[in-house]
Amino acid sequence: MELKIIHLYPDVMNLYGDIGNIICIKKRLQWRGIDCSVKEIGLGEKADFSEADLIFIGSGREEEQKTLHADLLENKAGALRCAAEAGTSILAIGGGFELLGKYIELSDGSRLELAGVLDMHTVGGKSRHTGNYMFSTAFGKVVAFENHSGSTYLGEDLESLGKIEKGYGNNGEGEEGARWKNVFGSYGHGSLLPKNPALCDEIIRAALSRRYGETELAPLPDEAEKRAHSYMAERLEK
Amino acid sequence: MNIKVPIAILACRAVRLLAHVLRKGGTAKPGEIALKICPNLLSILSRNVKTVVITGTNGKTTTARMVEQAFADAQLSYIANRSGANLISGITTEFALKSSLFGRCRCSHAVIECDEAACRRTLVQLKPQAVLVTNLFRDQVDRFGDVSVTLQNIREGLEKVPESTVCINADCPLCSSLASLPNPRVFFGLENGAANSDTDGGDIKRCPGCGSELEYSYRTLGHLGGWICTGCGKKRADTDISVTDLLAANASGSTVSMRVGGESSSVNINLPALYNVYNAAAATAALVAAGFEAGSAYAALESFSCGFGRMESLPIGTKGARMMLVKNPTGCKQVIDFLSALDEEIELVICLNDRAGDGTDISWIWETDFEKLAGLGEKLSCIRVSGIRWADMALRLKYAGIDEDKIICTPDYAALTTDMASSEKSIYIIPTYSAMLELRSHIVRLTGGTEFWEG
Repeated sequence: MELKIIHLYPDVMNLYGDIGNIICIKKRLQWRGIDCSVKEIGLGEKADFSEADLIFIGSGREEEQKTLHADLLENKAGALRCAAEAGTSILAIGGGFELLGKYIELSDGSRLELAGVLDMHTVGGKSRHTGNYMFSTAFGKVVAFENHSGSTYLGEDLESLGKIEKGYGNNGEGEEGARWKNVFGSYGHGSLLPKNPALCDEIIRAALSRRYGETELAPLPDEAEKRAHSYMAERLEK
Repeated sequence: MNIKVPIAILACRAVRLLAHVLRKGGTAKPGEIALKICPNLLSILSRNVKTVVITGTNGKTTTARMVEQAFADAQLSYIANRSGANLISGITTEFALKSSLFGRCRCSHAVIECDEAACRRTLVQLKPQAVLVTNLFRDQVDRFGDVSVTLQNIREGLEKVPESTVCINADCPLCSSLASLPNPRVFFGLENGAANSDTDGGDIKRCPGCGSELEYSYRTLGHLGGWICTGCGKKRADTDISVTDLLAANASGSTVSMRVGGESSSVNINLPALYNVYNAAAATAALVAAGFEAGSAYAALESFSCGFGRMESLPIGTKGARMMLVKNPTGCKQVIDFLSALDEEIELVICLNDRAGDGTDISWIWETDFEKLAGLGEKLSCIRVSGIRWADMALRLKYAGIDEDKIICTPDYAALTTDMASSEKSIYIIPTYSAMLELRSHIVRLTGGTEFWEG
């Protein structure tokens, strides 16, 4: 088996160490004897996601979103929508998560059309929401670090990724991230996946199952992972 | 005379004394209170003082020590804020303690390390002779928001002091954009002969002016090097002070070929690693801008000893330890590059804290190439992991492919210090800022030494 990852906009959306998610996915595949390849697609390239099992988009600020906006609409948005519709897995973090929405209202009042993969939009703000935070998901409690000024509003039929237990999340109203088909969006840095192995394995499992039929992953010891997770969970629960 | 001046200075001294009695650090609070009483106190105290200000993401403290050595060699009376007190409050404390009650400073010179965000308020009061901007990297993103904000803070500070000479790192596209200011300027940098093929280009990939992609004819560290913008055509400026060649390098220092104006010399730098070659070029630029001969700068580079937590030697364990403060992926990567080039069996200690002074977001550890440590094999006997976020650090090392048997988790500093004391290997300690203060004070207690506020 092999998991084919496409890292979208690694040259622009690279702000907060989100590369740890790819490191995490690769290692957890390697430990189970599953191959993994990562291909980078940057600005100016016409995207073809037909071979991809998982598309990863990291984080960036409004400036980066403006930089890639024209390219996103011209070269990537249509292919992203098709891929998501067809069940390809997508993991998008922070500013990359916002890119999957329909549009963002920038802090200067103007509006940027975005990929329209998910029925949601973002409103840019002046104040930043920064700090360790926690939300509960179908795969247990997730701990991460949020750092964003945008607030994201989900459409009526779009599910969030989890419920906020501590922190701000999408817009301060108790929801965090989004999940639709195999698309996972979150504001969580940290990086997100290493401390939350259940979420990582769910993303891997969904991507492999789509290509190879229903797939179960062998369990891993995960002691170091659980230690880092429970340290932060306990600190936030205090 | 302004009656507020003696009141502010008295208050400053009283608070400082109290802090000493209570054995608290007390470098910022006295100045903070003095500035509340007299908001322009620093401009009064510094008005007859020839000041060199050093700012930028990495290398401030080491570069300041190099400049300070030249001041000391010239037997100048000078102020140096050497305890990491680099906000306007701490700087004011230093000046107030060296002034008469009537606001006359007893020193003729000052070398002041200034936090990037503090430049806006501080430069206008200090009216420095020279302002050195060492480099700009992404640092503590949650604190500053972003490196372009940092750049803007420095720019706004410089705009208020158009007569100060600005010393610019020509290899840094971000710093180079400061050349559009009307200030007199001196460019420094490393040339092709000092290039480092083993660098990945870092995280700044686009022109700060137009947003187009940057191209490099050579690279040194991260986004530093011979850059040109593919969009607007801006490029690395010709330098006034250059390191043209690396002649020799080992674990105790480097020998480089340095050119100032048209003259080249072979210069010894009393600290190892390429990033200290940058610090040496930066210090030389600041000294030249402050009117020193290149020769006195070189003498200082050869003889200075480094600051607090910057390759500082500590007498613990059979072979001693070196402490190397890290604040961001770039700094950490440079340390890892340095460790990789060592030819001895080492023991590593990593202390990761997430307090305000460290950066509360530790995501950067995932951007840092700890994978390279796995390549050290038998040369790396173990990695001791400590600090508030030790569990995250241990996790990062696991995913970097380090043998889990080699990762020793010791959250407690007292236990960690005892373990280090019985080590027979050369120890290298990589702490974040507040972890450095805490661990250092444990080591000092065990071995005897100087507390940081006595500096």
